[in-house]
Amino acid sequence: MHIGGHVILIFVAAVILVPLYYVFINAFKTEMGINLMPMGFNPKYFTLQNMTNAWRLLVFPKALLNSLILVVVSCGIIIISGALAGFSIAIVNNRLLRTIYITLVLLISVPFQVILIPIVQILSTLNLMNNYFGTSFVFAAVNMPFAVFLYTGFMRAIPRELCEAAIVDGCGMGKTFLNIYMPLMKVVTTTVLILRGTAVWNDLLIPLATITNEKYDPLVRRLYAFCSLRFNRWDLLFAGTLLCSIPILLLFLFLQRVFIRGLLVGSIKG
Amino acid sequence: MRKKSTKGTSSFTDRWAAQGLLFVLPAVFFVGLFIVIPIFMNLFLAFTNYRGFGNPYRFIGLQNFRSIFTDPSFWLVFTNTFKLLLIYVVALNVVAVFLAVLIADMGAGFGTFIKSLLYFPCLLAQVVVGFVWRMILNYQRGLVNLTFRGLGLDFLALNWLGEMQLVIPVISLVIVWFATGYYTIIYYAGLMAISPDYYEVATLEGANGWQKFRFVTLPLLAPAITINVVLSTMGVLGAYDLPTSLSSGGGPGYHGTTFAILVIRYVYETYQMGKALSVAVVMAFIAIILGYIELKLLVRREVH
Repeated sequence: MHIGGHVILIFVAAVILVPLYYVFINAFKTEMGINLMPMGFNPKYFTLQNMTNAWRLLVFPKALLNSLILVVVSCGIIIISGALAGFSIAIVNNRLLRTIYITLVLLISVPFQVILIPIVQILSTLNLMNNYFGTSFVFAAVNMPFAVFLYTGFMRAIPRELCEAAIVDGCGMGKTFLNIYMPLMKVVTTTVLILRGTAVWNDLLIPLATITNEKYDPLVRRLYAFCSLRFNRWDLLFAGTLLCSIPILLLFLFLQRVFIRGLLVGSIKG
Repeated sequence: MRKKSTKGTSSFTDRWAAQGLLFVLPAVFFVGLFIVIPIFMNLFLAFTNYRGFGNPYRFIGLQNFRSIFTDPSFWLVFTNTFKLLLIYVVALNVVAVFLAVLIADMGAGFGTFIKSLLYFPCLLAQVVVGFVWRMILNYQRGLVNLTFRGLGLDFLALNWLGEMQLVIPVISLVIVWFATGYYTIIYYAGLMAISPDYYEVATLEGANGWQKFRFVTLPLLAPAITINVVLSTMGVLGAYDLPTSLSSGGGPGYHGTTFAILVIRYVYETYQMGKALSVAVVMAFIAIILGYIELKLLVRREVH
């Protein structure tokens, strides 16, 4: 039983690792090396040319900066508005707020296609197409219901006596939120940051709809255009996909525990 | 839930009611302006001859819906979408439960390693996953076919992304590759919450491994399975990035296209806004039904 289990898990590990290895090893080989030995490696075929070409063609630093701006602005909005709303729904908890909460939960996973055309119309009207804020607002809105859901769930679990004590001590709603509740929400905040941050970072569809000037394109959107245009140049494809995965890979290696804990926290309530 | 929440809360409810509204305002603003209003706008525009920003439009009744329902490619895509949902959701949940059980059996060390490894693909951009698998599954020089030909199994070296019948199952399984880690870890957490006492009793009663799984693990995991089935269905309904990168935009023809891709193709490829809007309405209907089930399950679970 145990031996069988090990064999299966090793097989599964291979199914995960082989594609990753395949990309990694071929990103540093010439086109000829890729064709002659797809899985092997010979120093004869080693090159850094693919990576530098991909870097240049993707305009990597600019694309990276665009992605970062979108992640920072949208996650900032998600966390501030999400935590405020979650606090109010958990503490004040009147009928109106409960209705808002139910509506938000219902909206957790609306496919973006359902709102795509109106979003373009609205952003165009507000002059927010091809604008970091416009795209970030849409990202914030789409990820907001999940954040509110998570904050509400965890804030409800905090004993109400804490809130009563705060009132006795003369804290207003704002102070109670900022000085008492938020410090207790560190795990939830990192969870929202990690889950929603990677979601924003990796998304193709929202930038596709809200950005028409490639100057503002984030990394993934640029990678998509790059790969679609040059599907026959595998040397560039391997290098491009690797280059775009490096930031996430590094983050994961350093924050592995935080990621897995975040996933569990997120799944307890979501 | 309601009974519990009204007990002893009147002081906050009254004292902070006005400020409470102020606190939800930012979230309501963003969700209202960029989700709720667009949903209703989409529903409205689907009955007009809308052609994009700045063009005048007028009411044309059910014409858009008539034009998609009489379009054979719509019904092909309809079938594709449900095929994808079915294959993906079944394969994903079966594999994830199975792996979670194996990892739980394995204990720390190796189990922890596999968990981290399994989780990693979910963090990659779907565009990356799509293009990498498009190379791996390439008919002429992809890794899969090179392996089959190398083993002398040429009859297995199929045109994975070029055959009409194969492309949807292949897309489904690549998404399974991408998402399995996430669901495995959730199921694993569910397994850890099961008291070992049940297994001790089962052992005393002389149950074998399969019987323990069938009569202890499975019933106790059932609520988690229900929720994950709904969540994974919901998650894949709008999946665009990976399928489109993998099948070069939903090909061959419309055989690799699902609703999620069809809307985008109508908007950016064939410029048929009316059709795009009405397919979006169809998607909204499916999403509302799934969302309602999801809400019932999540709220019910909060009570426990």
